[in-house]
Order: sequence, then structure tokens, then C-alpha cells
Amino acid sequence: MKIKPKVLVLKTDGTNCDQETAFAFELAGGNTRIVHVNELRSKQEKFNNFQILAIPGGFSYGDDVISGKILATELTSYFAEELKKFTGKKDTLTIGICNGFQVLIRTGLLPFGKLGKMEATLTNNDSGHFECRWVNLKVEKNSRCIFLNGVYPEERRVSYQVAHGEGKFYAGNNVLNKIENENLVVFRYVDKEGKQTQRYPLNPNGAINAIAGICDSSGRILGLMPHPERFVFREQYPNWRRLNLAERRKKPQGLPIFENMINFVKQT
Amino acid sequence: MIQTIRVSSTDEGQDLSGNNLYREISKSYKLNNLKKVRCVKIYRLENISQNQAKILAEKLFSENINQKYSLNKSLINGASHIFEISYKPGVMNPEVSSIFKAARDLGIKPLAVDSSIEYLFYGEIKKEKVEKIIKKLNLLNPIVEHIVRIPPKTLVIKGAIGKTQTIPIRKMGDDELLRLSKDKLFLNLEEMKIIQNYFVRIKRDPTDCELETIAQTWSEHCAHKTFKARLTIDGKQKQPLMTRLKKEALKHKKNIVSAFIDNSGVIDFYDGMGICGKVETHNSPSAIEPYGGAMTGSGGVFRDILGTGKGAKTIASTDIFCFAKPNMDLKTLPEGCLPPSYLLKRVVAGVRDYGNRMGIPTNNGSVHFHNDFRAKPTVIVGAYGIIPKKYAQKGEPKKGDLIIAVGGKTGRDGIHGATFSSGEMTHDTINVNSSAVQIGNAIEEKRTFDAILEARDANLIRAIQDCGAGGFSSAIGEMGQEIGVSVNLDKAPLKYQGLSPWEIWISESQERMVTSVSKNKLNKFLKICKKYNVEATVLGKFDGSKKLKVFYGKELICNLDLKFLHNGLPQREMTASQKLQNKKISKNPDLPKTKKEWISILKKVLSHENICSKEPVVRMYDHSVQGTNSMQPFAGENFDGPNDAAVIKPILKKQYGMIVSHGLNPILNNIDPYRGSIWAGVEAFSNYVAVGGNYKNSAIINNYIWPFPDNESLWSLDKSVDAVIDLMKALGLPVVSGKDSLSSTYRGKDGKIIKIPPVLCISVFGKIENVKDTASSDFKKDGSVICLIGEIDFKNMGGSIYFDLNNIKGDTVPEVNLKKLPKIFNAIYKGIQGNKILSVHDISEGGLITAIFEMCAGGNFGAEIDIDIFGKHRLDYALFSESAGCFVIEVENQNIAKQIFKGVAFVILGKTKKEKTILVKKRNNNLFEENIDELKKSWQDPMKKIF
Repeated sequence: MKIKPKVLVLKTDGTNCDQETAFAFELAGGNTRIVHVNELRSKQEKFNNFQILAIPGGFSYGDDVISGKILATELTSYFAEELKKFTGKKDTLTIGICNGFQVLIRTGLLPFGKLGKMEATLTNNDSGHFECRWVNLKVEKNSRCIFLNGVYPEERRVSYQVAHGEGKFYAGNNVLNKIENENLVVFRYVDKEGKQTQRYPLNPNGAINAIAGICDSSGRILGLMPHPERFVFREQYPNWRRLNLAERRKKPQGLPIFENMINFVKQT
Repeated sequence: MIQTIRVSSTDEGQDLSGNNLYREISKSYKLNNLKKVRCVKIYRLENISQNQAKILAEKLFSENINQKYSLNKSLINGASHIFEISYKPGVMNPEVSSIFKAARDLGIKPLAVDSSIEYLFYGEIKKEKVEKIIKKLNLLNPIVEHIVRIPPKTLVIKGAIGKTQTIPIRKMGDDELLRLSKDKLFLNLEEMKIIQNYFVRIKRDPTDCELETIAQTWSEHCAHKTFKARLTIDGKQKQPLMTRLKKEALKHKKNIVSAFIDNSGVIDFYDGMGICGKVETHNSPSAIEPYGGAMTGSGGVFRDILGTGKGAKTIASTDIFCFAKPNMDLKTLPEGCLPPSYLLKRVVAGVRDYGNRMGIPTNNGSVHFHNDFRAKPTVIVGAYGIIPKKYAQKGEPKKGDLIIAVGGKTGRDGIHGATFSSGEMTHDTINVNSSAVQIGNAIEEKRTFDAILEARDANLIRAIQDCGAGGFSSAIGEMGQEIGVSVNLDKAPLKYQGLSPWEIWISESQERMVTSVSKNKLNKFLKICKKYNVEATVLGKFDGSKKLKVFYGKELICNLDLKFLHNGLPQREMTASQKLQNKKISKNPDLPKTKKEWISILKKVLSHENICSKEPVVRMYDHSVQGTNSMQPFAGENFDGPNDAAVIKPILKKQYGMIVSHGLNPILNNIDPYRGSIWAGVEAFSNYVAVGGNYKNSAIINNYIWPFPDNESLWSLDKSVDAVIDLMKALGLPVVSGKDSLSSTYRGKDGKIIKIPPVLCISVFGKIENVKDTASSDFKKDGSVICLIGEIDFKNMGGSIYFDLNNIKGDTVPEVNLKKLPKIFNAIYKGIQGNKILSVHDISEGGLITAIFEMCAGGNFGAEIDIDIFGKHRLDYALFSESAGCFVIEVENQNIAKQIFKGVAFVILGKTKKEKTILVKKRNNNLFEENIDELKKSWQDPMKKIF
């Protein structure tokens, strides 16, 4: 397919990572449009005209009540049918970053793809406040996510920034077991040795099983708290000046997620 | 009927607010009988059925994974005492509009909603004791919140519209005029008489609305009376401060796109774009309500950027605070002032919650402590923006254009902010002026920004102004200054009924902009606003009458001649002279004798409030949203080495960028306002240059936060302005924006006066061709050469941290030779451009050794330096002198240093090393050696303990 895949970056009151998320998809070869939820409500735009749905970071509707809740309510009540249709298609992908992940969890699309039925949550960081810092992550080898295969170098480790106050992943035992057994965990917080960790600030929020990102069982819906779109060019990484020349030439670690999403859609 | 929903976490351990509060109480009070504290969120909804409430409780307010809820009854039992804290009726609760929206999406339409928090206290403890603790810990701010004693019967706020009053000013004697002015208008007798004469001349008495309009237009905050005054200093006549600053600035205008005429200063950027900057203070509101004050300080300065030209995009923010020391003895706290640790935490929280929600990265800032700030903190907020140059000039409304109010609704919050902030703080300020505090709602501002920028790009905006001090009165009055306006105030969207017309007119409710839009573009403009859920209302028009006419319904409540309003204020004449000081010669501290003494003093310096790592504060600000940050506040092996300035790449696909830095040192100004101000400027530029900036491509913003300009303070202010002018001359650069806030004086009930240290904050911003040509401060390599660039001032140690720790103030402060700076700055710039410099850090508070330590901390390396080169100078002064304009630099080898620093004062100090210690020696004699991780502990612990 020669046409650039179409990416919808969803925006509403308080969304604030829309432009850099759109930029990341553009860099990766997408045809991106930032769409305000009101344009969808007025039918000027439709989910169905796109192959990729990205819900970016920010404070949608001020994160009032609980983070992402108001937008999640809007999506599950006002857009239920359209969303079901969109996410049900085999050639579409959905990603939620930070606030977008909080929204996806609260719609029920993550972890089990059930719109309107919430099974896990993202709650207050154990530290009790907003945290903006770089963390090390492990990309799970056997995760169901179908667009991350072969993306990362052998060590399967990346460094991204987190910036959130409500990012602690939590679920009851049964749900958690199911998530682990079905290999829905995609990213975990790890220490310098690459082992998953509960230690603050390596695990910046106290997430259970050090979970930083998960997908649904189709592997086509991904949500994560860290911000890969903040590492799509070299200078965004605070320590690029410490790297040797060969390391400097490597691809910025956030970019492969976006490239792979674009490539996946192109190939299907 | 009100449905009441309570929500809390199922697992007690996850009740973070409850547990944190319990911990905080246990820490501060020995209360063995208090067993635990729980926290419950309450939602109230009026006019919905119980069934509907159940739906909302389950679908919106609670999540059964980790929360439970109750309907119209208590949720958790067994508490001894329950205290519910809510916003006072009439104070905007930002959550309410979101709850309305989500309820509507679920098909439920309540008449009114509110939310609050309930604290449950367990154990045998007296109710009065709990209430005392609540107040002591400032769980509620009595200005905007209250304890709910009886649950409300309705959430709807009703009120009749207040009447417009006529004030019989023409008959008033001097005493009456002064009484009218006090606590309300904040004008002096001469000014009051000019107003009186005006109304005698036009043969009628003014309305309250007219008087309020004049008072805020003529307030120090808006009119800068001191900066425009004719001066006599030490018996010599001098031109007004403003005139002198402008005159010098305009000699260096090659980078200027727009300066002194707009809400921010705009300078040239790349590809037809400009960048702009504005720095503001928000001291008075932050002193009485730090959270709201800091929020609205940020919100206000962001709107200054949006209100630049035809609308600029905000791309960065900076925050600079001065407080009393967090561990200060509270007995020395003046009456009516809040404890410094509370102020610090709440101001940081306010900046965090506003900036993060707006999605504007907080890239740069600093926190300073001195107990002389106990009567009033200094809260400085800066914002920077980008704008296409074709939209960068201030717009001028045309006759017939419509006046449109955009954004938030108007309420009673923030009345008299302009006049209040121009007054001194007294023991009574907190009671009398509570309505002067505004409450911020970042999301309202965010969507307003989104809408305005889209409207700008569609070329729909002729002119724009933000509603800051003075509200509509100021914004509309200024826009219509040349042409005249006619306003229908009854059209203004209100938060609730019951405001008097004059209150609507001058209210400083947040998140409001005023635009001038031509009639034929109105529909397009309104459509864009609607897309972003932004309210936009036509309030009137620019009518060509040269008058300021305000109607409420059919009643004309304000009819002022614009010429009188804007030019009627007479120029002040002010005199000042140097206060004769008894020449006290401070003694010198003893030189540390043993290794132990050296290490001990070094650790004390590193753990000093002004030196210690502020990382815990910075981590609460989102410094990378927008994806533009190309020089993070901290870098290094463990991301904990502080960098000197921010580098932003505002257009993601382009390599060029903007650098932002700042400098200040309030303590030095107390000893020597001229040299202290030079120091602030040189510190700002050193930070700018240290990351790789070419100072020639930059511009200056100056902010004066000074005590009330009496004879003595006006004298020091004049010296500070002289310093800024000399800085401009030496570097050939302009000031493009600035602000004065001359109310840093506290007057106690007993007449006791506390002058807060005078602060000059210099901010520098400019452009850089490629953000990759920059340097961070962390040491990069083992065995590389460490050099000192510039000349250490061994003589002038006054105001230094080293002296402070020895309880010595000192008589003279560091002197900088401005003439030598350009060459040093150039050498460093070229060294970084040529990739020859591995790391740079400028020397500021804490001196040379502190700079080297911070570079070791970031790089995870050690350093070995030999200070024999300082000859017979005192070695403690060599290490701790705060000589601005000096740098520590890491290069691969000596030859590179010799090559790039030819013709510039530099010495080689030593080498970096793998072993993580700092070793300071004098030839073969080891002065001391200490482990980096040990030093790091001293440096990092103080702020970790607070946050």
C-alpha cells in the first residue's frame, strides 16, 4: 500500500500531548490529523475514516473525578457503536499514552477489549504526587502486542519519560492473573540490571507487577504510562551528550513504536 | 432535593490522602489516641432521582475495582469526628463543569452539582482539638473554603443584581477623600483631588464603577507611577527609570520585533517567526493564598503570551521563588503571615497543577531562601512563546469592530487585585482583601488558547488583550484607548447572579481574553470557539467616541473621557538619597584547619537551602510536554546533575531552538544594590552561555520586586536600574520586557516595618541555530582536563553562602568586570560550537567547589584539583567565592584549552577521575578528600525531606 495510513489523534479539552504525538506519527510515515472530539460528535469526522486511533497524554477535562474518566464516559456513552466497530476491525490499531492509557482502561477496552466494562485501574502514584522522570523499561518478549515484534534490540530495554500523577496500575488477583497468563503485559519498569522492580523511583508509581503498559488480547490495542513520543529525536533524551558516536547514531527509542504501527497498517 | 454520593477506596492502605494526613498529624503532634484518618469524596447533585444518582455513582464517580460508594448516607462508620471541607458557595469549583458534562453524556441533567472532601478522625480525641489541627495544618484555606456544618439544602446560588451607587465626591474634604481611598482605591490625596476636580469640572458625581475604573487604571500595578516619576537622587536630577531603560534598550534594537508596547517582548527567531517572553510577579496573592496565587500567577503570565500581537503560542515557563527558610522559628513569623514551609509546598503545588494541566513545560527556575522573606514571599513566573512575525505587532481595533469576551465566566473572585497588589502588606491584609484572590481553572485556559490560536491562523483577530489586573475595565479600556468603546455589561456571562455592575467590570476572574473582531468575521470566530467548548460573547463595540461608555441594561454606569483616564494622572516627583551607613567592618571567618573542618564546611554549603538540589521540586513539574525540551533541567548518569538553562526546540521538525535562563540574588542587593544587580544579570548570561548560547542573539527581561519606594528603597532601586543599563551597554543588548512590583514592605499592627529583600530578576532568552550544539554540566569522561575560566574575586565575599554559614553578612559583594565578559562568553560559545567542550557549569552560589561537585554528581565521576595556582590567596575564598561570570569547563586535554581560551583568563585546575571522590590539594599537600555519594547525600536530603 503506497498511501500513507491515516492516524486520528484525538483531542479534547485539556489534551496537551496531541502535537508531539501527531509529530511522532508523521515522522513514522503517517498521515496524521488532530481531531477534536466535537468534530466527531458533529459527524464532521468519523473514526472509520482512519486506521490508527491515538489518544494522547494530557488532562482530558481536567482529569476531574478521576483521570481520564470524563472522556472515557463520553467514549463509552456517546461513541459506543462507532468505537466497537473501529476497534473490531482487523486492520486498525489503537494506542493510548499516559492520559490516553487512563482513558482506555476506563472505557474497558483495556485489558480485555470490553467497552463499558472496567476491569483494572490506574490510580494515584504511591508518592502521592505528579512525577516527571526518565525510567527504564523492559519490553516483554512474549506479549500479545502484534506491532512490537522485532522492534527493539536484543536486550529489549528502553528508556522513556513518565509524567503523571495517577499511573499506578492495579487490578484484583483474578484479573491480574488473567493479564499475566494471557501475556497482555507489554512494558514493565525495571532496574539497571533489567529486573522488574517495585523500588521507587525506578518504579515511579508503585504499579503492581511493575506494569507500565498493557495490550488487549487481540494485540491491537496498546496503553502505556510512559511517553514514547518524547523520544523520537535524539536531543529529547537528556543524556544523549554522554553517548559515544555509534550510540548517537542509533534510532531514538520511542520512534519504533510509531513506525511499527504505521508498517503494520500498511501491510494489512 | 439533593442526592449525596460518597466515594472512598475499599482498601484502607490505598487511602493515600487519609494516610498522609494521619502521618503528618502524628509527625507534628503527639496524639496517641488518634488511631487513623480516612478520606471520603462527596458529590452532591440537585434535582435528579435516586436511581439516576445510582447510575452516576457506579458509572462516573466510583470504580468497584478499588473503590466503594454510598448514596445519601455515611460510607465508613466508627469515626469519632467528621469534618467536611468544601469550597465556599460562590467560589468556583473547577470540577463542576466536567461533572455536568459527563452526567449529560449519560443522559442525566442535574440542576446543580458540587463536590467536597470529608475527613474522618478515629480514636478518643476532642472535636475542638481536631478542628485546631485542621486549621494548624492548613487543611482548608479559609479564604476560599469552609467547614460544612450543615449540609446545604440547595446548591443554586441566588442573588439580586447590586445597584450602581453615586459617590458624592465633589463635596468631600481631605479626610473623607482619604477614607474613600483607603482599603479600596489605594490612591494618594493628590490623586484623589485630581479625580475630584475632574468631576467638579464635568458637574456631576461619579458612579462606583467610574471610581473603580480610575483607581485601577491609576494603580501602581497598572500605571507604574514610580518608574515614570521625575527623580532627584542624592540631590541630582535624573530622568525617570522607565525613560532611561527604554532609551538604552532602543540603542540595541537589531533583534527586536516588538518591545515595551505589548504584553511581552518579541525578538527575531527563524523562518519568519518571533519568540517572546514575559516575566511577572504574583507576590501579594501568593502570600495569602499560595496555591491559588501561584496558579493564577502562572495563568496570568501565560495569557500575557497569548495576548501578544494577535496571539502567540506559549511554549515554556519558568518559576523563581524566594521564601523564608522552611525551618524558621515560627515565633518570628509576623502576624497575618503564613509559615514558609506551607507557602513553599503550596506555591509549588499551584505551579505544578496549572502548568502541567496547560501542557506548558516548566523548564527553568530556582528557589531561594532567606528569613527576611517571612513577611511576604517573592513569586516570579515567566512565560515564553512563539509567533509568526506577521502576527507579532500589537493589533489596533477599528471603528465598528466588536468587543468579544472569550473564555471563563465572571465572578466575584479577584476583585481589587490591581489596587491590592500595589499596597503594602499589613497584619490585616489577609482579612480585608480576601476577595482579591482568584481561583484558577487551567483547563478553561487551555481550551481558550487552543481556540484563539486557531482563530489567529484563520486571520480572524484584529486585536487581543488578556483580562489581568483590572479585568474588563483594564483590557477593554486599553484596547479602546485611542478610539472609544461602548460596552453592554449585562451581556457578560456570570458565574452566579448577584454581582454589582462595577464588580463585573473590574473583577479579575481568570481565564478571560478580550478580542477585537470585525463584524464580517464574527461567525467564523464564534464557530471556532464552539468547537473548543469555549464561550465567546459580544460585549459591545469600538465606537469611535473616544469615550469609555459602559451600560448595564439601559443605565449608563460609566462615561469617562479616555484622555483623562489614561493621561490625567500627573507625573510624580520623587526624591531619594543614600542612607548613611555606619562603616562596620565585618570580621573574617577562620580558615578551616583540618581535613575534617574542610569537609564539614563543604557539606554545610551543599546542604544550605540555597545550594541543595531542588530536584524533588522539578520532578513535580512536567518539563517535557510538547516534546520540545532539548536540555532537561537534570541530566547525567543518574539524571541528577543540574543544568544551567533550558533549551527548547519549539518547532519539532526544525533543528533551531530557544534558550531561556535567569539570575538573581536578593541578599547581595541588601549590601550593594548596584553590584548585586550586576551579579544577577551576569549570572543570567553565564547560565545562558554555559549551555551553548551566543549572547549576541538574546534579549533581556528585567523584574524589580522592591520594597515600597521610600527615600532609601528608591535610592537602591535607582542603582539597580543603573546596573541594568550598564549591562545593556556592556553587552550591546536590549531589555525588551519587564515589570516592577514595589510593594515588598510589611507594616505590622504595632507599626513595625519589615522590608523584604529587594529582588532584581534578570531573565535572558534568545535563539540558537542548532540545539545539538549545546553542552550539559555533567562530567563526561575519565581523565579529562578541568579548567577555570574567568577571574575569581578573592576580596568580596559579602552575601556568600560561606559567610552566611559563618554568621557574617560582609560589607562588599563580588565585582564583575563587564568589559571582559564578551570575550569570555564568545570563547565558550565557540568552544561548544566546535564540539571542543565536553561539559560546562557556571560558578554561582556556593562557589567553584560547588560547581565542580555538581559536575561530578551528574557525571558520576570524581575530580582531583590543585589550587596552588591561587597562590597566596585564602583557599577557602578560592573555593567558595561566588564570582559571577566564571566557568568550570571540561576538555579532553590542555592543548584544546589553550587553543580555545587564548586571550581569556583561564587556569587548569586538575582532572576528572573514575574514583568517585573530590580531592583538593595544594601541590603535594592534600587539603581534603571526600566521597561524592556522601556529599550527594548532604546536597539531596534537605528538599527530599520537605517534598
